[in-house]
Amino acid sequence: MSVRKKFPIRLAAVLLLAITIDTALQLMWKSAVLSLPNDGSPWLNVQAILHNPLFIFVIFLMACQYFNWLMVLGNADLSYAQPVTSLSYVSVFFFSVLYLKEAADVIQITGIIFVLAGVWFISQTDHVTQSKGRRA
Amino acid sequence: MGQTAIGVLLVVICTLLEGVGQVFLKKSALRVVRWYLWISLGSGILALEAIIYTNALRFLDVGAAYAISSLNLISVTLMSRCLLRERVTRMRWIGVCLIFIGVALVIARA
Repeated sequence: MSVRKKFPIRLAAVLLLAITIDTALQLMWKSAVLSLPNDGSPWLNVQAILHNPLFIFVIFLMACQYFNWLMVLGNADLSYAQPVTSLSYVSVFFFSVLYLKEAADVIQITGIIFVLAGVWFISQTDHVTQSKGRRA
Repeated sequence: MGQTAIGVLLVVICTLLEGVGQVFLKKSALRVVRWYLWISLGSGILALEAIIYTNALRFLDVGAAYAISSLNLISVTLMSRCLLRERVTRMRWIGVCLIFIGVALVIARA
């Protein structure tokens, strides 16, 4: 029987930051896309993107997320960290209903409960794989 | 092909790119030989994914697009197990499956 390793505060902090940035990024990204002029084409105009301050902020958030994610990967297994950050599905769902006025119903809320249960199961496993000659 | 179908297809492509990109980034975090190569490859793939995902948001709600992208949980877990030799326990698989079902319920109504 394996003994679970102590959960490092540093890992908790970078995971929480990853979820927060991810939520903000998804909502800003959608707002940025909605703010673009609709020229009838389904594809985005690159020039319009580069002149839109919302997109500049989206790119900034992406950069923050990228460097924070590298810190997460330096402290945990990919197969642990990736599912735990699924908590941002829950926050994105609620914020998109509240602020972007997207529709929600009982089935979707049930789905969110499943996501939460899944993250709980994953949180019960070790965050790093121990083996000779590797650093995680 | 309908607009929703195009959006779903684009997000599915993004999930595959995400899986490969994440494994490459983890490789660089493990300080393997030529880690800079892994980080460059991983970053390039994730940048391409961002461009495709931005277009996908034109066709789908952010909640739905983000939910579909949870498919990468399955591919990332499999790739972590096979390519990175991470210990993926039954408990972890149950968690991944629950998240996947949850996401399926969310997108079923999108």
